Amino acid sequence: MPKVDQFESAFRAASKTVFEYQPIAVRSILVITDRSKSEADIFGKQISDFLSVLRSDGSPRWRIVNGSEFDTVPELLALVEAEQPDLICTYRHLHSESWRWPYTLGEYVDVLTQVTTPPVMVLPHPDATRASEHAVKDTLVVMAMTDHLTGDAVLVNYAARFTEPSGKLFLTHIEDEATFERYMGTISRIPSIDTENSRRTILEQLLKEPTDYIRSCREVLEAEGLPIAVEEIVTKGHHLHEFEQLVEKHEVDLLVFNTKDEDQLAMHGLAYPLAVELRQIPLLML
Amino acid sequence: MAFPGLQEAAHPEVPFGTTMLFAAILVGLIASMALEEKLHAKKSLIVGIFAVICLFLGAVLLPLPFGPYEIGGQQIDLPIYIPAINWGVIAIILGASLFVDVTAKSGLFTWIAIRLTKSSQGDPLKLLWYYGLMTVAFSAVLNNVTAMIIVGSLSTVSLSKLDRSDKLLGFLLIEGFLTNVGGLLTLISSVPNIIVGTAAGISFVTFFLKASPFVAVATVVSLVIGAKVFGIRSLATGEERAEAARLVDGFDENDGIESEAFFWFGAVMLILFIIAIATASVTPYINDLGMGFVALTFAIVMLIRYKHEVDTFYQTIDWDLLGFFAALFVVINVMEHAEVLALIGVGLERMIALGPTLGTGAILVSAALFSSVTDNIPLAAMLAKIISDIPMAGGGIRPPTDPLWWAVIFGANLGGNLTPIGSASTLVAVTIIHKQKIPLSFASFVKKAAPFALAQIVLALIYVLFVM
Repeated sequence: MPKVDQFESAFRAASKTVFEYQPIAVRSILVITDRSKSEADIFGKQISDFLSVLRSDGSPRWRIVNGSEFDTVPELLALVEAEQPDLICTYRHLHSESWRWPYTLGEYVDVLTQVTTPPVMVLPHPDATRASEHAVKDTLVVMAMTDHLTGDAVLVNYAARFTEPSGKLFLTHIEDEATFERYMGTISRIPSIDTENSRRTILEQLLKEPTDYIRSCREVLEAEGLPIAVEEIVTKGHHLHEFEQLVEKHEVDLLVFNTKDEDQLAMHGLAYPLAVELRQIPLLML
Repeated sequence: MAFPGLQEAAHPEVPFGTTMLFAAILVGLIASMALEEKLHAKKSLIVGIFAVICLFLGAVLLPLPFGPYEIGGQQIDLPIYIPAINWGVIAIILGASLFVDVTAKSGLFTWIAIRLTKSSQGDPLKLLWYYGLMTVAFSAVLNNVTAMIIVGSLSTVSLSKLDRSDKLLGFLLIEGFLTNVGGLLTLISSVPNIIVGTAAGISFVTFFLKASPFVAVATVVSLVIGAKVFGIRSLATGEERAEAARLVDGFDENDGIESEAFFWFGAVMLILFIIAIATASVTPYINDLGMGFVALTFAIVMLIRYKHEVDTFYQTIDWDLLGFFAALFVVINVMEHAEVLALIGVGLERMIALGPTLGTGAILVSAALFSSVTDNIPLAAMLAKIISDIPMAGGGIRPPTDPLWWAVIFGANLGGNLTPIGSASTLVAVTIIHKQKIPLSFASFVKKAAPFALAQIVLALIYVLFVM
């Protein structure tokens, strides 16, 4: 005799999260630097060329902030508040030499990503030589990264907006292997649960949901006429290690991920290590 | 004792006191079944204990016909509790439930359910009608409990997706009531049908033709009452309709289909199963082998797909239900030898003597009232046995068209809607309701169920007495 839970599970599995396309409008961009005005303008021009994709629906308004315009975090936040930009572009360790040591983002970027509403694009430091060869040239290869892609329409919409026509958008979902193995270890100690069957079916289901969602993203974006190719990467592994490898393997031009966490003031668990470690390409932190 | 009728009923070899002792045991069994939830014991165990007591006391106090038994001209030594069991009924239940289980793996039932959900566009009133009709159809083709599980689970998930969980109680109750209406549609739709239909010699086709007009009317009436009582209405604005349509569009009916070939195989086999069951009584050879053979054959054919893991399906068999049946048949057999059934038959004869209208009506209402407080299966099994032993006014065998059979069938099925313990499917509905943390006491169930059950029973009375 079938069980209630058996059919409830079947119907829940059949109930898919459908991607909802929302065009992202980027009409004003605030470029924050700690350089002199002339150097800041050069940096601003480089960013403008890099983000040429944003001109597709009219040229956005650019405002380049130079180093003399702020000395403290409150001053910087006041600047952002006054400009009300749709996007902030900056780099690590403003007004600091700490960029030489790859361990933090620096206090300005830390606060910007958590306090301000618009997404923050963190670019390789102008003085550092760590940037990849293909970095800050175009956005033909954009990758959206998360450990929970299903239902994250904002992440996908932003990533799609920054992908150049005929470019590739990688939608990436990595299930954390360590967490998975910890639960499997617990299951393996419960006699009433079939360990092998659980391992197989749980992993299948964990990977199926983002796969289904990516299919929905692809269908909707195609239907909306966006001239980009949506590629799917859904796997299990060590988060940071996998992401680093994927960025390198696919020569990603822009990495998009979430940073804000509703439950805490600090950055989202995966975002901080990603932002610190991946210094060779631009990062769009939502 | 001042019960001349009862004294007359007693078999000369069985002292009246012994008959009364076994009658008391039967009352104890019925009371225990009614208190099944309170006892926190499975029904197979409850009836199993009574079967053991009955057999032991029967061996001591009754002239039980111990073997060897003559089967096909051969003397075969069997324990008395083996021929006491109606293996035909057990085979139908076992085969049909296995067949349904394996067919469910093809994704066929979830596909049908989701397609209907999507075609409703998420409109609550349309959803109620579609789910109601689906409940009746599934109850008729599968069985009440499976139908309730499928439609109840879908209702929970889809109403939650549509953000209409406030209507879930109404949906689940209406679906629960409709399982017992749909359970009247065919001979294999519910166990009382199988038991009484087999005893009465009613064919599948005759059963369907006789019952379907009532089922159609009772379904429509129940849905109309349900929509009114639980305030289930159509969406008012275009915006609401568009949002609901978008949400149900997120269901993927193909999600549960592992193999398209097996899906179609399951669909074809289901149709063939219905045809085979429907024609079993007129198909040469199959007629001799019975519907149980058909059900088991289809189950075995479906299991070939899962030949390496058939044991997983054996684990899902409701052994509690099968054990319950086996033990129940043993108890009834002993009760027959103890002349308890003859004793009840005397009471029934008095009821029947009230006349074709009043008597049959009284049987229907009594069957409904009894099955509302205890399991309708023992009731149906007992009444089937008793009625088949009560002689016709002009002598001869009671024909399948005799309204008495139908009074028992309608009463036993519909009585289950009066209380939450009246039928297995309403119990499943209440289980889902409680699982969703929706408060519903016994009394409030009865209060909500009363308009539905009364309307259905009144309709059944009119139908059995004046239309059939």
